[in-house]
Amino acid sequence: MHQNLSVSQPIVTVRNLSLMRGEYLAVDNVSFELLSGTHTAIIGPNGAGKSTLIKSILGLVEAHSGKIRLFDGTGKQLTGLKQEVGYIPQKFPFERTFPLTVSELVGLGLNNKQWWYDRKRKRKRIDQALEQVHLTKQAQQKIGTLSGGELKRVLLAYCLVVPRRLLVLDEALAGVDATGEMEFAALLNNLKQEHNWTILEVSHDLDLVSKYCDLVICLNRRLMYQGSPSTTLTPENLLQVYGALVSPRTYQAAEEASAVLSSTCHHHEPSRLPESF
Amino acid sequence: MQRAVLGGVLLGVLGGILGSFLILRRLSLFGDTVGHSAMLGVVLAALLELPATGTLIGFTVAFGLGVIYLIDRTDLGSDTVLCISLSGSIALGTIGFSYLKGYRGNLLSILFGDILAISNTDLILLFLLLAVTLAWIIISLPEQILLTLNRDLALVKGVPVRNHRYFFIVLLSITIALTIRAVGILLVNGFLVIPAATARLICQQFVPFLATAAGIGALSGVMGMIISGAIDLPSGPSIVLVQLFGFLAVALWCRQG
Repeated sequence: MHQNLSVSQPIVTVRNLSLMRGEYLAVDNVSFELLSGTHTAIIGPNGAGKSTLIKSILGLVEAHSGKIRLFDGTGKQLTGLKQEVGYIPQKFPFERTFPLTVSELVGLGLNNKQWWYDRKRKRKRIDQALEQVHLTKQAQQKIGTLSGGELKRVLLAYCLVVPRRLLVLDEALAGVDATGEMEFAALLNNLKQEHNWTILEVSHDLDLVSKYCDLVICLNRRLMYQGSPSTTLTPENLLQVYGALVSPRTYQAAEEASAVLSSTCHHHEPSRLPESF
Repeated sequence: MQRAVLGGVLLGVLGGILGSFLILRRLSLFGDTVGHSAMLGVVLAALLELPATGTLIGFTVAFGLGVIYLIDRTDLGSDTVLCISLSGSIALGTIGFSYLKGYRGNLLSILFGDILAISNTDLILLFLLLAVTLAWIIISLPEQILLTLNRDLALVKGVPVRNHRYFFIVLLSITIALTIRAVGILLVNGFLVIPAATARLICQQFVPFLATAAGIGALSGVMGMIISGAIDLPSGPSIVLVQLFGFLAVALWCRQG
């Protein structure tokens, strides 16, 4: 699981970053580094600054102080990176009557040129992305008719329609059913291992974090712990981060629980990536 | 009459296309606000003895950009900022009118417009505006859809959200200024909102939605003018009534389906 760390290059470097939410200090002097081809989870209680932190990395929230280095530039230069970053937001509000089909939404992940020209290739990419998230049948369905979990899978397909270097997910599994959750996690693992995607996610699912992530960042406004799941997700650390005993299970127990979940989903084949990859 | 029909069609197409984005971006009240602010623009043109069309276009563009800037700069909802701007501009416009003793008689023409008085210059302006709007839509349609659906996704993808938003407001404000001359302040929002709202009820996909809204706008322009001529009704209100009945028919049909 950690095989990429020794040879990887930094994709995201955060140095002494502080972020404000109005007058309130949301993130206080945080530093960490994400290496290419790794899967990192940010965990912490509600209001810990997790979403604000990843929005700052994406250039959506301005830093109060400190620096963010993304690839070879800064977060502010994200507009020049365009297709390199995929993002699934925590909330995706829209009106149910918005006239857009699943297929059209996935196609918006392509750039303008890919969108207008080469229709065949565009169609193929969209179909492959939808196949990966098992939503082929819903391709012509209006997005307003989807469930919350289905919508998250469509947004993942939107990210999959072109190769990315960095995939940022803000509680992307919220609303996804147990089977979909395991498929989602396995697909992310495949993107990381086979295609060297760097994945950064905010998650509350410690079982999946312990099973799939290389690095865990425990945040509660300030960075409390960071390291591998085995060293970070201890009851003592979690008690410090959440301020209460949130999980009686040790890392070992979490591993066992994940194994049980995996065994119940063994009939699902590993996800196949589109030819365009 | 031919100029008026052509004007109605062009205004209908423009209103349908821009109105589609307007309602999806929850700015339906924007047309009303900028439309009513035109009263202040007309007062300024009269006070400063400037050409009416040019001043109206310049004023609506400046006012529209100002309103969007305020929406962006404050944490207040867009409806709140739009209501404040609407009240402020009407208050200023009304006070301005009190200083124009000889101009009061023209108030009705600003409120209700006159599509039959549409000039060749107006038609040329409308053609140019439609050409620019279509070119802009064709070049940036996926970006426009994405930023309409979710601003953050658009920003992460590198879409120049601010530029697109402000350019949209410029096009919209010019369209409103030209539509006011044809149908007046009170009915301008109907041209923007009703065809798009009708299309939204029946379309599943985005491009057909845009085309349907433009088509409904154009068709209602022609039908409204025919009805207006046949039974001697005011033309602007006739067009808006055709749009309204079309909307009601589709809404009832969708409810039954």
